[in-house]
Amino acid sequence: MTGGPARLAPPILGAAELALLSRLHLVHRRPRRGLYPGQRRSPRSARSPEFADFRPYSTGDDLRQVDWRAFARFERLMLRLSVAEEESALNVVVDASESMTLGTPSKWAAARRLAGAVAVLGLGAMDRVAVGLLRPAGPCTPHLRRGAGAGRVLAFLAEVDPAGTAGPDDLARLRWLRPGLTVVISDFLVEQSWAPALAGLRAGRQEPLLWQVLAPEEEVPVLSGDVELRDVESDRRRELTVTPRLIQDYLRALAAHRDQLRRQAAGADGRFLHTASADGLESSMLAALRAGVVRRG
Amino acid sequence: MQLLAPAAAVALLGIPAILALYVLKVRRPRSEAANLMLWSDHVVDRQADAPWQRLRPSLLLFVQLAVAAALALALMRPGLPGHAAVAKTTVVMIDGSPSMLATDVAPSRFAAAVTRAGRLARQLGRGRQMAVIVVGDHARLLTPPTSDPAVIASALDRARPSGQPARLDEAISLANAVLAGRPGGSVLLLGDGHARPSPAGPTPRLGAPLVFERIGRSGDNAGVATLARTPGGEVFVEVANRGRRPRNLNVEMRADGRLVDVLPLGLGPGASAERVWPRLPAGTGVVEARLSPGDDFALDDSAWLITEAPARRRAVLVTPGNGFVRRALELRADLDVTVVEPAQYRPGPFDLYVFDRFVPPGPMPHPALLVAPPEGSGPLPAGPPVDPGPVLPANPREPLLEHVSLRDVHVQQASSLPVPRDWHTVIAAANGPLLVVHQGEPRLAQLGFDVHRSDLPLRPAFPVLVHNLVSALLPGRFESQVFALGAPVPVVTEPGVTSVEVTGPDGGRQRLSPAVGSTTVTDTTRPGLYTVRQKGPVGVRTSRFVVQLQDPSQSTIAPGPRPAVPAAARAPGRAQRGVLELWPWLALAALVGLTVEWMVYLRG
Repeated sequence: MTGGPARLAPPILGAAELALLSRLHLVHRRPRRGLYPGQRRSPRSARSPEFADFRPYSTGDDLRQVDWRAFARFERLMLRLSVAEEESALNVVVDASESMTLGTPSKWAAARRLAGAVAVLGLGAMDRVAVGLLRPAGPCTPHLRRGAGAGRVLAFLAEVDPAGTAGPDDLARLRWLRPGLTVVISDFLVEQSWAPALAGLRAGRQEPLLWQVLAPEEEVPVLSGDVELRDVESDRRRELTVTPRLIQDYLRALAAHRDQLRRQAAGADGRFLHTASADGLESSMLAALRAGVVRRG
Repeated sequence: MQLLAPAAAVALLGIPAILALYVLKVRRPRSEAANLMLWSDHVVDRQADAPWQRLRPSLLLFVQLAVAAALALALMRPGLPGHAAVAKTTVVMIDGSPSMLATDVAPSRFAAAVTRAGRLARQLGRGRQMAVIVVGDHARLLTPPTSDPAVIASALDRARPSGQPARLDEAISLANAVLAGRPGGSVLLLGDGHARPSPAGPTPRLGAPLVFERIGRSGDNAGVATLARTPGGEVFVEVANRGRRPRNLNVEMRADGRLVDVLPLGLGPGASAERVWPRLPAGTGVVEARLSPGDDFALDDSAWLITEAPARRRAVLVTPGNGFVRRALELRADLDVTVVEPAQYRPGPFDLYVFDRFVPPGPMPHPALLVAPPEGSGPLPAGPPVDPGPVLPANPREPLLEHVSLRDVHVQQASSLPVPRDWHTVIAAANGPLLVVHQGEPRLAQLGFDVHRSDLPLRPAFPVLVHNLVSALLPGRFESQVFALGAPVPVVTEPGVTSVEVTGPDGGRQRLSPAVGSTTVTDTTRPGLYTVRQKGPVGVRTSRFVVQLQDPSQSTIAPGPRPAVPAAARAPGRAQRGVLELWPWLALAALVGLTVEWMVYLRG
């Protein structure tokens, strides 16, 4: 991240994209306890018109919560419980490693747009939203609320320059994550397993959502013949003779890698989805709709 | 094995070049990736940190080396001794007989022979030469010995079948002349075995070994053998099956191109059937009998008959009395003969004048035949009588003596005749000419002896000679006649004709020059009806003639054995073996190798 002069770059999210996001809601699969009222269902019961459950009366309970109609019917004291709606935490972790600069359009542009969009969705639902980078002790925003939160998040993302490396170990070392929904946006192209880091998230009462962004050239390689491939992060090189058969093997390996990520996410009660950097926000949100990550408002 | 193009061995340099490509480090374009993990299991690893790398065996390398070797060998044109005679000097004889137009070998036997000759020309090695002769009724040298395949190909483009039975005599003489002074020659005859030495006369000996390459497979053929008009006005058809399998045929009878009747016929192998067809529509000009279904030899599947009566001609015979000449003239069906004595002769509009021992006063009318004009008169003033001596033809190929035998003909007394340059002698004797004919206009013929002083009128040759003379003198000699395929058709034009145009059965037109009163249609290689239009001072005269296969032996198209050609004593005993080129197979192997290489490459 650099604090250079303001650049004449297009905004991360335009007016049309913000209008699109206003019609969507981010879906939390599990209710989480929050500190303040919000729009997320809480595991706690509370006084509200929305019925949640009955439970038998026990000594010390508030007699005002007794359901006298149930008592008349069953001749037993029953307490009527209601749903509490509280705020939740949304952690958005963006991979800003060197490899995210690859692709046409670059993966970083798409990842930054998605991170902003997810943050806007969370802020719209009165969530506490923080955005940070997948780096050791990477910078992040504080957990923000609706209001000026969106502007600060987008300003934070606009000033990030991808560099260095990133991996599962970096995710496990992040300390600013709060219990809630943790969205990790990355290409996830590392040899190490993400399972330990995801288990750590689960232990921290976080629901992981892995959102893979790949470039079109990574989805379907356009290489042919003799080439020398260079890993932009490790600077390792490998000489290849790319044949149609090799391309097919690459596609099979990519599918297997995604299956592994999906299983690892499911093992941590999380989800996995993938989009391409060439996809617009609308296409990406459609993929998220199909994956159940967002829903229409 | 021998190499026809050893200089192409330079192409073998491709093999070390391929090896060098494998040994040299490949300079690869660089590309960046987020991670190599997805490629790791599928790398064709040729990492090298030096300009050279160790040669590693791979299927791709072996296939590429094999393809390069096959291509280089193909370019060197290796060959094995084959069965074709491609000697130091090879005379290729192509049988041009009509049976070579059979299509049992696509597109035809003749075309296959030409293709074979062209292939041999392209296979000529260094120092080898080839000459090409087409054998028809006459032999035709298409190209003298040359080693240039382009010249031979150009000559082969001009090769045409003759339409006449092929006779080897001339071809053998021609081949001997070509090979004279060229040791190590051989003769290759490409044909179906129908080219034979002439049965008449001794066959010249061939001065080089002969290799016969048979072309043709099938002998199945049925044809119209005869199509004629009976005296009763009916049409007589004879159909012959020359093949070895029975045929069920329909004879389509067409009148002026319209199908009017179908005669079904069933013919066993080698059998023939005759039919008399009485239903000829009145006014029909041309009858065609066509066989269906067709077969491999189309030339004899159709026959034509011109049924319209030929135009009648008027002739006057002025004679003090000559029964021989009168009877001979009256044998022609198209001639109305008027016989008058010299005293009663008055010039009139006759088509032919015959003056026997008489010459009319004043200008000589023409066309005219003068028989023994009085001494000192006639177009060629006759000299004093002499004993002519033995009688012989002036030219054995004289058309006017066709079917005329002068053997044992005697002439007791004849007038001596001068022969100016524009006259030519037809019958000669030891002491001077006996029959002379004027070339061109006016058409005149003069016989130098009184037929009563000779035994010629007592022989069958006399009416034939008179017939030929009348045909030559009268215009329209060809009208309504049937001529053999490929034979030249003499056209005696009408007096004063300015243009002659001949339209063939395929619609092709030929313009002929009528300058000397007669001309010849030479392109008669297509069977069918030919139309002649003569434009003259009295309008346009249209007449027709037919060209078709007339020799029944030519309808037997089964490939025959090697012709028995006598060899000269000094001819070498064995024909030099030719070269069977292997480059097409090597090229095919290279193509297969390239396909395998591509599949190996795709497989990774």
